[in-house]
Order: sequence, then structure tokens, then C-alpha cells
Amino acid sequence: MAGELVQLLWTEKYRPRTLDEVVNQSDVVARLKVFVKEKNMPHLLFTGPPGVGKTTVALALVHDLYGEGYRRYVLEMNASDERGIDVIRTKVKEFARSAVVGDVPFKVIILDEADNMTADAQQALRRLMEMYVSTTRFILMANYSSKIIEPIQSRCAVFRFSPLSREDVVKRLKEIAEKEGVNYEPESLDAIYDITEGDMRRAINILQAAAALGKVTVSSVYKVVGLAHPKEIREMIRLALEGNFTEARERLRKVMIEYGLSGIDVIKQIHREIFDPEVKIDEDLRVYIADYAGEINYRLIEGSDDEIQLSAFLARLVLLGRKLGTGK
Amino acid sequence: MALGSSNIPWIFKYRPRTLSDYIDQEEAKNKLIEWIKRFPNTEYKAALLYGPPGTGKTTLVECLARDLGYEVVEMNASDFRRMQDIERIAIASADKAGLFGRRRLILLDEVDGINAKADLGGLEAVLRLIEITRVPVIMTANDPWSPNLRPLRNVSLAIEVKKLSEGNVVKLLKKICLSEKIECDDEALKEIARRSEGDLRSAINDLESVARGVKKISLDYVREILGYRDRERNPFETLGRIFSARSARAAKAAAGSSQLDNEMLMQWINENIPAQMQDPEDLWRAYEALSRADVYMGRIVKTGNWDLLSYAIDLMSAGVAMAKKSTERRWVSYRFPEKIRLMMRTKEARGVRDDIARLIASHDKISTSTAKNHVIPYLMIIFRNNPTEAAKIALGMKMSDTMIEYLAGPRAKEVISIVKELEKKIPSRESVEKKQVEAKTEAKKPEQQPKTRKEEKPGKGVGLDRFIK
Repeated sequence: MAGELVQLLWTEKYRPRTLDEVVNQSDVVARLKVFVKEKNMPHLLFTGPPGVGKTTVALALVHDLYGEGYRRYVLEMNASDERGIDVIRTKVKEFARSAVVGDVPFKVIILDEADNMTADAQQALRRLMEMYVSTTRFILMANYSSKIIEPIQSRCAVFRFSPLSREDVVKRLKEIAEKEGVNYEPESLDAIYDITEGDMRRAINILQAAAALGKVTVSSVYKVVGLAHPKEIREMIRLALEGNFTEARERLRKVMIEYGLSGIDVIKQIHREIFDPEVKIDEDLRVYIADYAGEINYRLIEGSDDEIQLSAFLARLVLLGRKLGTGK
Repeated sequence: MALGSSNIPWIFKYRPRTLSDYIDQEEAKNKLIEWIKRFPNTEYKAALLYGPPGTGKTTLVECLARDLGYEVVEMNASDFRRMQDIERIAIASADKAGLFGRRRLILLDEVDGINAKADLGGLEAVLRLIEITRVPVIMTANDPWSPNLRPLRNVSLAIEVKKLSEGNVVKLLKKICLSEKIECDDEALKEIARRSEGDLRSAINDLESVARGVKKISLDYVREILGYRDRERNPFETLGRIFSARSARAAKAAAGSSQLDNEMLMQWINENIPAQMQDPEDLWRAYEALSRADVYMGRIVKTGNWDLLSYAIDLMSAGVAMAKKSTERRWVSYRFPEKIRLMMRTKEARGVRDDIARLIASHDKISTSTAKNHVIPYLMIIFRNNPTEAAKIALGMKMSDTMIEYLAGPRAKEVISIVKELEKKIPSRESVEKKQVEAKTEAKKPEQQPKTRKEEKPGKGVGLDRFIK
């Protein structure tokens, strides 16, 4: 193959394919290897922050169970991309209808971001898990186990994935950099860890983007992170606090339409921004803004209109800005 | 009006100033000039200009006044309430005219708007005015046959202002495009003219709606934008009534009688709140109300309980109207919701972005939302800074040219040409092309299992598939 002519995202290219290739999460991996050996397993629930290897480990597990052709025994779904529990139900039904005869007597359904499902949808999911238990096993993934209803948790073996250590992340980045022939300053890899903490996916994405700019240095790493995150959000907050509603709303439209962020993405980024020490605002103001951001976030989850709710948020900032001052 | 020239609505900016600018209504123009020149030696002391909306009745009067040196005293229906007021105005107009040497004429705009019941005595007052006036009275009306106007018809010279022909409307729109430096297909202008049905004002408003922020207007674009307008008859009127309502009831009635559907009305209100509410307290109160209305709308969708609709309407109309406490009332033009325009203008780009997100999601086993937020931004950095690396990724992930264009922006051509070169070096080009087709189908159907090189081989020693029906 013309390997040097094509490139992939490094997150995909360097994803461990088997449990043996997974170097961290050793407790989890050791327990899962027992399932592979016995060719049996209960329903599983993987919890942990983003980018710590939940999906990777799930795929490695089914790979080890079924071998290279594992895909035909596995249904992968992402709860946040499926339109409701009915779609999930139909897919599960179709997939699970047939019994499996062989050394692994079940098929596997991997459902990512299960904590994005409402409690009602999770109840329906629980019934599905029971209904098809003779032919299928579920691997559910979630950032927080607390967002998964009790009846599901009690039917699953729960595996907690811990954030990756600095050592693990830097070591992995170094391996990839060397395989890709990337010219890098060693400190830059630490900088990537400082930014991403234990999120390996983000760390690798940053490395790949920084490498595309040339030599990977601490400053090129920060440059990449700056480019990837729209400056408009911070500007929007500043403009609103200064009382310029119209321009603040123009920035809002820009991030939503040009960068394609959803209302929830925007409010979450705002939330991060207002606690950033570089954003110099009154300390009380941070708290007031956080409170209202929470309210808006809740309304958006309930299905309210992005632009109207965020405009209301900006109008609130205009008022708070006038009452408390912008702090600087 | 403290408006910069770019903010002046085009209907004002391109309004004719003089009679020679005022074209395509020769008959009405000549009739009116002749009448006013002979005044007061005329059969009638009043003229009634009638014709459909947007044909230039008021503009004709303004041009006439400017060219012949008249000062226009404008009155509207609400001034007609008290007889003694009418007399005072009529006499004052005539007196002052003598004093300053500047002639005056009285303009009564939209006399068919006088409600015979509500403005009790209104018609009577107008008749009295015509009886005693010493200066010309010019009235305008849309429907000369309205029963209200029968008494007025008998005492005035009726002059018809005709509906403009499609050709004339197109001609005028073309002039505006030229002076605004907008490229516009003839077919697009014809479409605007056709929809206007001879109403030049609405045609110019439509052209401005369509043209805002773009340099080129195509027929499809016009259809898309104006398609929305068809469903609502007159958003400007509804907005005017809501924002100027002095009672909660009046605001509610305005929203209730609107032709707009409620979602659309909320977008119109949302767009226009900032211009209406200058004071931060007012702005906040208005948004508090509108966002609560939106919460109710969301609950309706979620629960299917339409009883909630009336609360939503209360908040979006009365809630917003009553928010205005400190802002001074002033005239501001209403704007078409920018969000809807942007959504239409960026529909294609958003579609491409969604395709890219699905492609990444299937490769990288993440949700499309994670792909959009956490992967596409990095890909864009690579595509805009390192065309060679970008081309390799485009090949590896089997991206279409439109996807490359989206990610690479100004550098798309470079990336695409490198892709073409690299493709030649890859042994079997056909297989790549085949994969590209697959990639497109995959991108459209995220639920499909992506087939990558390895997995196409049957799994070794498993072979359970023959047991699967």
C-alpha cells in the first residue's frame, strides 16, 4: 500500500486494536481479559472523563472476543447521534433478533454517551437490555455514572476509567511523534498535557495540528489551541458587559453559524471562560453569570431556541455589566 | 433620524425627490399638477389620490410640494377627533401661509383608515375641513370605493395612481442594484417584481431583505428568502403594534391577529428588540419575557400540550411590550430576522460540515457533536496551514472536494491539486474512486458499519455468520 501517500487522524491511526496494546487502565484491562478467556461477560458500564480510552477498550475487547471480523457481531451507536429511544429500539431489535451459535454465544451492542439519554429513555433501554439478554450484551459508556439510572447500573459490571497520568500521555505522544518523524521540543509535550490534562484524544489532536505547522514547540502548541477555540466567545462576553448588545450578538451568530457550535456548546464555553483567570471581571460577577448560564443550559436541554435564550443571556450580561461594572 | 446612510431603508433612500424623478405615473402626476396650479380656481378644494399600496401616492405629494414650493401639513386619522381642532388647523395653515409667504397644503394620508365608528365624527370633520380650507387638501386612499369614503368622493377630484407594471418595477429595482453595486439576475428581479403585484414599496423592501449582506442575487436565493415572507402577510405591522402597545391587551391582540406563525413571530421580535430597547433594564425585561415565551414553546413541543400556547403568546407580546419603561419612543425600521437569513445562506456549508462530522465520527468512533467541537477545529488548522499533510488526510479519509473546500478555505485549490497528484501515484486509482463513493454513502448514513481495509476479509476461524439468518 502507498502508506506514505495517505494520512489519517492520528487518534484513529494509533488507536490500540487489542487489549494487549492498551498500556494504561491496567486494572480494567486485566478484568476484561478474564471475559475474553471465558468467552462470556455481563453487561458492562464504562465510566470516566472523555479521552481516557473507554471506546478504545470496548473495541479492543470485542476484537479480542471475535477476532478480526468482529464488526459483524457488534453494533456501535452513539446516543447523542441517535434520534431518540425509538430509533435505538428498532436498531437493537433488528440486530438482536437472531440467536448466535458459536464459541461466543452473544453479540455486543456498544452505546456511547449513554449519559446523554433522558431518564425515560434509559428506562426503555433497561427493558431492551433484559429482553435481549440471551443473545446480546451491552457495553454502555458514560462520563458520569451518576447520570445513569440505578436499575441500569445494577445490571452492569461497572468499570471506572481514571484520567491518564502525565507520564502515560507524554510517553504516548512521544511514541507517535517519533513514528511520524515529528520534530519536537520535549517541553512541548508537557505543555500539551498541561492543556488537556488526561484527555488523550485532545492531546493527540493538538500534537497533529501543531506538527502540521512545523516544529512542535511550547508556543506552537498554545497557538494551535488558540486557533482551535473561537476568540469570539471571550469577545462576546466583553462586548456584552460593556453594554454593546448588538455587536455581542453578532459574535454569537458568528460562532454558532461559522464554527457550527450549538447553543449548549456556546453556553458551556462561556462557563469555562468566566472562570478563566485571564478574564478580568468582578469575582461576584463570575458567580452571577454562572448561575444564569446554568439556567440557560437547562432551558436549552429542554428544547428552547438557541438564539433567543443566548440573546437573553447577553441582555443579562449587559445589565450586570452596568450594575457591577466590567471589573477592568 | 440619526441614521447613517447605510442604515437608511432603501424605500427612503431611493424615494424620488422631484417630479422629474417621479416616473411611470404620468397621468396622475399631470392631473394633480394642473389642479394645484389652478387652485383655488378649481371645481374641488380637495384631491383624492387613490390606488393600491406602494404605488407612490404620498411620494407624489411630497415631490409636488418640493417642486412647487409648498409646505406639507400632514394630518392623520387621530387628529380628526375634534371639530374645533380641525377648524383651528385649517385656519392656522391658511394664515401662516400668508405670514411667511410660503404656501401650504394639507395632506390627509390614508383616509380610508378612518374608522367610521371609532373615529366618531372623523369623516364629518374632514368634510368640514374641505369646506372651510383656503389651502389645497390632498387625501390618499387605497380603496376609493370604501363606503366610508362616499361623502369624500363627492367633494374631491379623484385621481387614480395605477399599479406599476412588472416591467416598470424591474426597471426601478435594476437602478437600485446598480447604485448598490449588487449583481442581480434579471430572473431574480422579475421574481421580486411578480411577487410585489405592482407594489413598489414592498418590491424595494423585498430587494433589500434579499440583498442584505450579499453581493450577488440569484433566482433560487430570492425564492428561498421570499418563500418565508409569503407565509406571513405583514410582519412589520404586527411588530409595530406590539412594540408600541400601551396596554397588555393591545399587545396580545396584535400577536393574536398576526398571520405569522408563533415561532416566526418570536424570531422577528428577537431580531428587533435591541433596536427598540436602548435602555439595558428594558432590554433585559424584554428578553426575560421573550425567553420565557420560548421556554413555553419548548414545553409545548415536548409535552404536546397546546394549552400552554396562550401563555407563550402573552409573554412574547404583552411581556415584551410592557418591558419598555425608559427607552424613548422613536421611529426605527424593522429588520428581517438575521438568523433565518444566515441559516439559509449557510445551509450548504452547514451540510458539508455535518458530512465531515459524520465521516470523522465513523472513523474515530465519536459523536458528531464531539467531531464538530473537538476535531474539525484542528483539522481546519492542518488544512489551512499544511496543504501536503491535508491532502494526505483527505485521501486517507476519502474526503470529497467540497469537504476539502470547507476545511481548507482559501487554500482549497492547493490541497485539491496535491490530492490529484497523490492519487496518480497510488497504484489502483479505481479502487480509490470506488472508496470515495463509499465514503460518501457512509458519510450520509452514520449507522452503517464503515468498511475499512482489514475488516473486509472474513474473520479468521469465527465464521458464525452462516448461523445468522
